[in-house]
Amino acid sequence: MVQVNEKIHVSKDGKRDSYLGIDVGSVTLKFVLMDNDQRVLSNVFLRNQGSPIDSVKLGMAEMRSKIEKNPELQEYAIRACGTTGSARYLTKAVVGGDLAKTEIIAHAVATQSMYPDVRTILEIGGQDSKIIILRDGIIVDFAMNSVCAAGTGSFLDHQATRLNIPIEDFGDYAVNSKNPASIAGRCTVFAESDMIHKQNAGYSKEDIIAGLCDSLVRNYLNNLSKGKDLEEPIVFQGGVSSNKGIIKSFERHLGCKITVPGGGLNVLMGALGMAILSREYYINNEIDTVFRGLRMTDIDFRTRTFNCGDCPNNCSIVECSIVETNEVIARWGSRCGKWEVF
Amino acid sequence: MIVSFPNMGYSWPAFKTLIECMGVKVVLPDPTNREAVKIGVKYSPEFVCFPFKATLGDFVSAIKKGADTLVMAIDCGPCRFGFYHAVQERILHDMGYKDVRVIPLDQADLLEFKWVKTLFEVTPTKNLFLYTKAVKAVQYFIKKTKYIDDISTAEGLIRCYERNKGDTTRVVKKLLIKLDETNKINELRKFKSVITNEFKKIDIDRSRNPLKVALSGEIHITLEPNDNLDIRRKLGEMGVQLYQNLSVYDWVIHKFHLNYHRKWLEYLARPYMPMDIGGEAVWVIGEYIDRARSGFDGFIHAYPFTCMPEISARTIITNVLHKKYDLPIIYFSFDEHAAESGFRTRLEAFVDLIQGRREQKKHKKEIKLEEKSKEPLYEIHGGSLYNNIVQFIQTG
Repeated sequence: MVQVNEKIHVSKDGKRDSYLGIDVGSVTLKFVLMDNDQRVLSNVFLRNQGSPIDSVKLGMAEMRSKIEKNPELQEYAIRACGTTGSARYLTKAVVGGDLAKTEIIAHAVATQSMYPDVRTILEIGGQDSKIIILRDGIIVDFAMNSVCAAGTGSFLDHQATRLNIPIEDFGDYAVNSKNPASIAGRCTVFAESDMIHKQNAGYSKEDIIAGLCDSLVRNYLNNLSKGKDLEEPIVFQGGVSSNKGIIKSFERHLGCKITVPGGGLNVLMGALGMAILSREYYINNEIDTVFRGLRMTDIDFRTRTFNCGDCPNNCSIVECSIVETNEVIARWGSRCGKWEVF
Repeated sequence: MIVSFPNMGYSWPAFKTLIECMGVKVVLPDPTNREAVKIGVKYSPEFVCFPFKATLGDFVSAIKKGADTLVMAIDCGPCRFGFYHAVQERILHDMGYKDVRVIPLDQADLLEFKWVKTLFEVTPTKNLFLYTKAVKAVQYFIKKTKYIDDISTAEGLIRCYERNKGDTTRVVKKLLIKLDETNKINELRKFKSVITNEFKKIDIDRSRNPLKVALSGEIHITLEPNDNLDIRRKLGEMGVQLYQNLSVYDWVIHKFHLNYHRKWLEYLARPYMPMDIGGEAVWVIGEYIDRARSGFDGFIHAYPFTCMPEISARTIITNVLHKKYDLPIIYFSFDEHAAESGFRTRLEAFVDLIQGRREQKKHKKEIKLEEKSKEPLYEIHGGSLYNNIVQFIQTG
């Protein structure tokens, strides 16, 4: 059983160091357990279950069962834990993370560890998409979709359901197309009505899907890469990078080769980046981890909301506490920052 | 007659004095909140920019508190801002507030003295003493806007050093209320020392080496914390020293043709944008160049969604200036949305980005008083108070 040990016991317990990275995205949840040599020991990839607290508990339970089944993993102890993703602060409070960083940093760190000379990172996830420009090993520019969720995984997922094909086969359909249909790329509302029209006009599924991939890529490049130089080598990651059609479409639009991290790592990059950052944090700071351990699945968390009422804004404040001890672990939601506990 | 005006950040004590000195009662709208924004959005044209919606919401909240005359600034400049008061008056009439008047405060060129007409229009009694009252009103107004500018300058400089989170915010609130209560010219003249003394009471950690970031953009959005999701406080608490030239004082002095700093920025921006196209576009470009030259770590450009002039400035910066001067810049376009997570993620990532750059360059140039003489012609910030605060941070 992997245990979280206090620093004093580190030498005594004789266990090897490992680091846990958690990425709670808008659609999926990623856990990566990494050792000192940046080898991925174990990972968990799940769809979100309503609230981040429930999903994290579920993910942690799966991680725990994976570790319990594997005797090799039991030689490791988790020394530090980092969280990223849109729910990073809540997750940090719930699991007792040591640090929370943005997805942009986490993705950049993970990609650089695998491809040290990377200059452009494309990332398309469930609800958001990013572009990260690196030069000489540091981030010089980034962009994130801000006002519109067009061109993200959720849209593709929705369209796959509408066309009645599983999202896993989406890429294969696109690759098989000889003559992609032209589909509007500016807005998904236009894209959808274009698609319906093409469907009714009798285009083949393959052509429509390939056209959809093209329009998504166009939308992504228009929205995010404004005025940025996309230089090689380019690494493409995130959930959508499992889709062969999109990769091919990117290659066609950018006129160069796109690298996708192999071995299922393309979707785990955020969590891997957090594991790497946790290792740096552990080595540089020599601080005991505050990680609650894999047993956190047994702790009951309670969230409640109340209205502040001190000003006309009347913000609703969300409070998360541990049921047993009544200890408030996180509170957020006010506009003025009055109640915040992280 | 009860007069009111929309919210614009810390500037309320100044506008309040301006109208109260004319002997008219003033009510303040509630701080811009979800309710006000909801009303503003409901009754505004969909494609208008966010300040229109927010100020309309403020007007409704002021009317509910008893106001019947509303003052709205207008600018017969190139962007649609010049028509806001007229459209808002019609909307308010359509909403059923029939007796409400929206009086334009013409600020296109203050030396044309059209604003005197506005001051007389809000005053019910007309007599010879009105002119002396108007002189006093303007004198107090300019003094108070100057102090508000000072307060926000000191706030931006000091917040990143504070040991107890929230100290600076409390001091600012306290000072604004104090400034509002100070209505004697003798006390007002000494108010600068009150500001410095209050800020010197804050417990600060001098060992920090904060990042230097400049904030610029459209004036209403950058000044009003409820519209820009409190970007100044968030940045300060992330450990960023914030510099902001933009203030009501800066603007008023500019409109009296006395703001040489803005003239300097216009000079810098001339090769890229030869004329004022509305908003703050020209000065944003100028400021970007100025900040890049004086060794800043980053630049933040905030503007309302669909603001034409600011978007023009943005395009010039990304395509030309960013490549030339290499100062990291991030853009925020604000609208009615209140979801903070995406905003926060981008802000944090930006701070991480400039931190990484700084570590790589080992470019740890702190502002020192003697170094200032080498910097471009015009001082970045409000004179003696700026120097006092910087000295306080460095030596105590």
